[in-house]
Amino acid sequence: MSEVIVVTSGKGGVGKSTTTANLGVGLAMRGQKVVLIDTDTGLRNLDLLLGLENRIMYDLVDVIEGRVEIKKALVRHKKFDNLQLLPTSQVKDKSAVNPADLMVLCDELRKEYDYVIIDCPAGIEQGFQTAIAGADTAIVVTMPEVSAVRDADKIIGELGRSEKDNIKLIINRIRPAMVESGEMMDMDDINDILAIKCIGQVPDDIKVVTSANRGEPVVGDNDSQAGRAYANIVGRLMGEDIPFMEFEKEGFFTKLKKAFGLKKNG
Amino acid sequence: MSRELVTIKGGKDGFRLLVDSSASMKEIEAEIKKKLDSNPGFFPEGTKFELEVADLDRSVKKGIDQLLSQHGFGVDNSPKQARRSISSQPASSNQNMQPESVVQEMMVLNRTIRGGEEITSQSSILICGNVNPGAQIIAGGSIDIRGTCRGMVHAGAWGDTNAVIIADRLMPTQVRIANMIARSPDTMEKSDFAERACIKDGQIIIEPIER
Repeated sequence: MSEVIVVTSGKGGVGKSTTTANLGVGLAMRGQKVVLIDTDTGLRNLDLLLGLENRIMYDLVDVIEGRVEIKKALVRHKKFDNLQLLPTSQVKDKSAVNPADLMVLCDELRKEYDYVIIDCPAGIEQGFQTAIAGADTAIVVTMPEVSAVRDADKIIGELGRSEKDNIKLIINRIRPAMVESGEMMDMDDINDILAIKCIGQVPDDIKVVTSANRGEPVVGDNDSQAGRAYANIVGRLMGEDIPFMEFEKEGFFTKLKKAFGLKKNG
Repeated sequence: MSRELVTIKGGKDGFRLLVDSSASMKEIEAEIKKKLDSNPGFFPEGTKFELEVADLDRSVKKGIDQLLSQHGFGVDNSPKQARRSISSQPASSNQNMQPESVVQEMMVLNRTIRGGEEITSQSSILICGNVNPGAQIIAGGSIDIRGTCRGMVHAGAWGDTNAVIIADRLMPTQVRIANMIARSPDTMEKSDFAERACIKDGQIIIEPIER
């Protein structure tokens, strides 16, 4: 039983590609056969987050236009043989792929893989419509910020109009200290507005940035809070019942230790 | 003072032309000409007039049509509904009004209304769910929201000043009733009780209610 998942958000910069990369690696670590599709044609960057840029031979547009077989365009991950990436073209634009093409492609890949995860471009135009066409499940990524929540709301409406009813939410880049002090929207407010099932709360973590630069998603890193949060989301996607984690707050003693150089940041 | 045979009123999307249906075409023609000529340049060319008369004779309608197009104006002959017609027998028109107000319809929506959605209805609207920021609810009658209202709500959109807006938690970006607009304070407080917005003494007020 395989699942086609689209990761979307409406707003840019909330962490769609980061989430896609982490879920992909996380599922692969658990032994699932996974393929990631980047549909952000013209602004390709999922390959960077996975550290696979230099291995790309063909792309999504080549496959759609029938120049190569799907198998030839797939890029295998360095560490996990059961994780493949279908990158997109950096020179073409969104009009090179249409929804029907992607539906055919997803159905093809579904036969061989347990999870097909699609990285959706920002916006609600053609690129978005293409990306969601073949999906069974949509994961909406948002941030505790009014504009990101507003856009997520709109995206959920759009998904509903396209008859995608299995929608899940990931709240990304949470700053627990700011939520605590009331400077950031809290999780209950967001869940009240968006009213869809939340499967993940990921804290803002500098390790996400450093690991992205290295091309190794943070999900395998147990020292990182975000890494553990993503691992939990992977478990929930596979049907496990995992409670949401409590965020470590920077208490008085950690601050003190930091000040004396006893504890490294993290 | 005798009533004017032809009245031109500014509307939301153009001008409305109200014509006394008891007048003859000649009288109407003269009257319209007089009105247009008394203020040349006031109505730019291509201005659309909406004819707001239900029981006007067809020949008279046609005549007005021709007259206005000669002046370079457009006529919308099929207004959505004849909202107000100047009738030669006001009494009978009043009688016609009554059964209309007795028959009340309501649009019911059992879901969340999300940003970017626009719900419009001539009747009243009942929403069992939240109205999110960026959504618009426009009703000819009243609006009842069984949930949190964070969007823009407009009750009595066609002029009914008795329309009200009720929500379990009323924290909209804007409240509009008939032709009045009120906006929420810049720092919104979370209300813990149901509230009702209505027009009192010429302004929109919001008061707590029990339900």
